[in-house]
Amino acid sequence: MVEETIFSQQIAHTNNKDTTDVGETKSPVKASLGVSEKWDAREAGREVAETAIQNLTRPPDFFLLFSTIHYEKYGGFQEFLNGVWDVLPKGTPLIGCTVPGFLNNYGCYTIGATALAVSYPNADVVLGVGKNTKRDPKNAANQSAEMIKKGLANSQYKNKFLLNIVSGPETWKIPGEGYKKIVDSGFWSKFATLAFGISQYLLQKGSGREDEIFEYLVQKFPEYYMILGASMDDYRGISNYQFFNNKVLTNSLVNLGFATDLDINVCTTHGMKRTNIKFEITKLSKDKHIIKEINQKPAVPELLHILDWPEGFLNEKTMYNIIPYYPISFKRHNREVPTIMPGFLKNSIVTPSVIDVGEVSILTISGRDMINSIKEGLQNFEYIDPEFGLFSTCITILTTLGSKINLIQKEIIGHFKQKPFIMFFSAGEGTYSPERNLTYANISFNTAILGHSK
Amino acid sequence: MILGGMFIKDDPIAKVLDNLMKFDDILACMVARRNMISVEPSGGTNSFKPEVIQIWDEVKRAMEVMFLGISECKNIGKIDFEVYDYNALMYVFPDTDTAIVAIIPSLANKGLVDVELERARKKIQKIREDEEKSK
Repeated sequence: MVEETIFSQQIAHTNNKDTTDVGETKSPVKASLGVSEKWDAREAGREVAETAIQNLTRPPDFFLLFSTIHYEKYGGFQEFLNGVWDVLPKGTPLIGCTVPGFLNNYGCYTIGATALAVSYPNADVVLGVGKNTKRDPKNAANQSAEMIKKGLANSQYKNKFLLNIVSGPETWKIPGEGYKKIVDSGFWSKFATLAFGISQYLLQKGSGREDEIFEYLVQKFPEYYMILGASMDDYRGISNYQFFNNKVLTNSLVNLGFATDLDINVCTTHGMKRTNIKFEITKLSKDKHIIKEINQKPAVPELLHILDWPEGFLNEKTMYNIIPYYPISFKRHNREVPTIMPGFLKNSIVTPSVIDVGEVSILTISGRDMINSIKEGLQNFEYIDPEFGLFSTCITILTTLGSKINLIQKEIIGHFKQKPFIMFFSAGEGTYSPERNLTYANISFNTAILGHSK
Repeated sequence: MILGGMFIKDDPIAKVLDNLMKFDDILACMVARRNMISVEPSGGTNSFKPEVIQIWDEVKRAMEVMFLGISECKNIGKIDFEVYDYNALMYVFPDTDTAIVAIIPSLANKGLVDVELERARKKIQKIREDEEKSK
């Protein structure tokens, strides 16, 4: 009781931002949202923390923090975190990352920061961190897994949840040419696939390898419910950051482990439909991230031929306006993995995740399919009264829908009512549950809701 | 189109435009109507990014044509047109012939820009409504 009184006094001075409606409840779970649209990093850090905790009557048991990349130029992320810690009680477990945007009860933002602060006595919380995710994803997963395992070893709570945030893809700057999605000419194109592998290991540029990390963590924690998101900047793929307590990290995995008596469910939905365009992946790179041959022919020319696109149709200008809308249903360990093709290296295609050879299909999706997909996803949670929720959603959905993303917000608010949720946009996402197994996908909604069964 | 908007000290609408100008991808922005720029960012057209100057005359002429359409067709919400390697986005205030206009590179991520322009439109609309109420 004394601790609660002191805490209430600490937050009494905070700005009275209009965030009082969300999270007000008589439930023992106290979950509250914070938002800041300030441009200055330190001020934004303070404001997002103040608005997140001002409605709590107990100190938070954990604090999730998402921010857009612009603070890199407006004070830096260490200043941003310093601002958060000006307000947040010392010792509060904090993880988060940079994102291209986020959606919550208050709206959609592509500039700003948001936070979810949760306080609940019937839970154990532990954080994990793993470094050098692009260089050695297995080791990164193991580092974090050890911390989670140790931290929750004596937990009495049977329901376990793991939030996985992994550093997402970063394009490497080609000497003399800059950041490119298509490397089809010039000196570097001759060594493109070799350079890709070397840059990933030495420079930690390239694919995030979040799918590999996810697979390792699922092996370690098969009884957990999990959600995955890869951090990103504003879709340029130049830099991204992860937050771990008071540290700003790069190329890292950060985890929140949460053992509780709350009911938990997760699921992935995407709304993509198969077309009748199929082909066979016949040759992959050694690390299975690059398609070298399709139908036993060089991959890029054969793909253009299959899609009946003329040479030169795809270029730096058109790439990201066209290619995300031709996702491919790859296979991985007999699972379907719908993903987009983020780059071309001469005649090879880069994939965001590890894939297997075999037959694949081109998929299609519309804005309407995306909206229906979130409706479908929420139907899986009709038996849970939510206390709080997290959605890891593909950046392509945000760039496709733009401001129409508010249609999705309306669907979610219809389910959550006054309870807080954060949808953070990612560059690679998925869920895992013991019932549904692992799903990794692009252009997908990945939902995690914690609450009480009705 | 007359170049030169209204300069009001501490104009809240100009502050909204100032925040939009902080985006790397927004090269110029203003609140405009046919024959007039109503409000510019606090620094005026000097705050526009240099590459806009080369295409500004063409954009102005095209905007005149677009505003004609906006005044004739009341249900137009947004207009997007391309000039060389740039796009001009016009977000019309409902039931008016005034729009927030932004110029962005054609390679910009339009989805992300759309979210922030929509937010700016709503903020400016609220400022205008509050100003009307206080009169």
